Amino acid sequence: MKCKRCRRAEAAVDLPSHHSAFCPDCFFVFFRRQVQEGIRKFRLLSPSDRVLVCVSGGKDSLVLWDVLMDLGYETEGLYIDLGIEGYSERSKEKVLSYAAARGKDPIVVELAKEGVPIPEAARCARMEECSVCGTVKRYFFNRVAAEGKFTVVATGHNLDDEAARLFGNLLHWHRDHLSRQHPFLPDAGEGLVRKVKPLWRVSEVETASYGFLKGIDYVTDECPMSEDATSLVYKEALSLIEEKMPGTRIVFYQGFLDPGNPLRTPPEPAARDSAAATADGEEGEEPGGPRACASCGAPTYAGICSFCRLKERVRKRREERGGRVAG
Amino acid sequence: MLPMIRVRLPQKKRELEVPGPRRVMDILAQAGVRPTTVIVTQGKKLLTKDHRVEDGETIDVISVVSGG
Repeated sequence: MKCKRCRRAEAAVDLPSHHSAFCPDCFFVFFRRQVQEGIRKFRLLSPSDRVLVCVSGGKDSLVLWDVLMDLGYETEGLYIDLGIEGYSERSKEKVLSYAAARGKDPIVVELAKEGVPIPEAARCARMEECSVCGTVKRYFFNRVAAEGKFTVVATGHNLDDEAARLFGNLLHWHRDHLSRQHPFLPDAGEGLVRKVKPLWRVSEVETASYGFLKGIDYVTDECPMSEDATSLVYKEALSLIEEKMPGTRIVFYQGFLDPGNPLRTPPEPAARDSAAATADGEEGEEPGGPRACASCGAPTYAGICSFCRLKERVRKRREERGGRVAG
Repeated sequence: MLPMIRVRLPQKKRELEVPGPRRVMDILAQAGVRPTTVIVTQGKKLLTKDHRVEDGETIDVISVVSGG
């Protein structure tokens, strides 16, 4: 199969959803244009932004960092070591080695040192690992962004992620979650920076292809904590539909983002998303805008932020266990 | 024994052999893998789904689906 763009070189990536196929060089052009269009459409970034790119060691976040650097944005990487045995070491190594090759030195947060490694925190709080992980990550995204004077936080969520999330929210009629689902969540002040998802137009196959062709060495094994994630079920269902009807996924998600869609409300500030303890909203949420957490000073909608409450539960549980062992 | 196509699925720690020549999309169907969830590589090359693989060649099927 020949590249549909240059019509000379052999195609390496076929994209039925775009009725197209590209050689590596033309695919790079196509991919960057897709990201640029995604940024332009919702004004996700401006040339003066200082972008904090959250990198996990997986394909999407490393590709995002790579593309944003190539597009000329001022970026720094943030890696959060989740404290998951084996997996965290492997992913951290990928991030550090990628960053070193690009002359970067990412900011690293170690959750074990912060007292909340994900597996233990989830056990202590009796919560799902993915839910704890979300709370902790959002907390550090904001904290590191505020400390480092970043103007925006960028994550590597792609079209498949967003379409699967939308599908799940619609299946369960989580109307309140729909307003929080957008590639652009505005700055809410009080240290809650803007959050953007510049890869919202590109699929997982596209980011994986870009990463592979660019020689980006990413971690290919999946987080062991997410094996039972419900998002995988939605992705599976959507990939079946996509296979039979290529292009459905982007139509589904773009249609949702259309301002004329009655299901859409204007995007809520990043605050709700970042401060929420659970997807349903923050426990002990009080009316009004964000205020400083009484314990750590981070912005929250409750008196004590969800991160501090989680940390306290872990500490208490450790004490109880220590007491039992000592007794 | 005649050489066949070696298909590696590293994330599933699975490997199979299929007779060639065969197109990537047919190999994926035989392996029970949905084409919209993987990329298929051969060394440093990325293969399109209609690429014909010959006996004696090895390909890797890399899942691209991330959860959480």
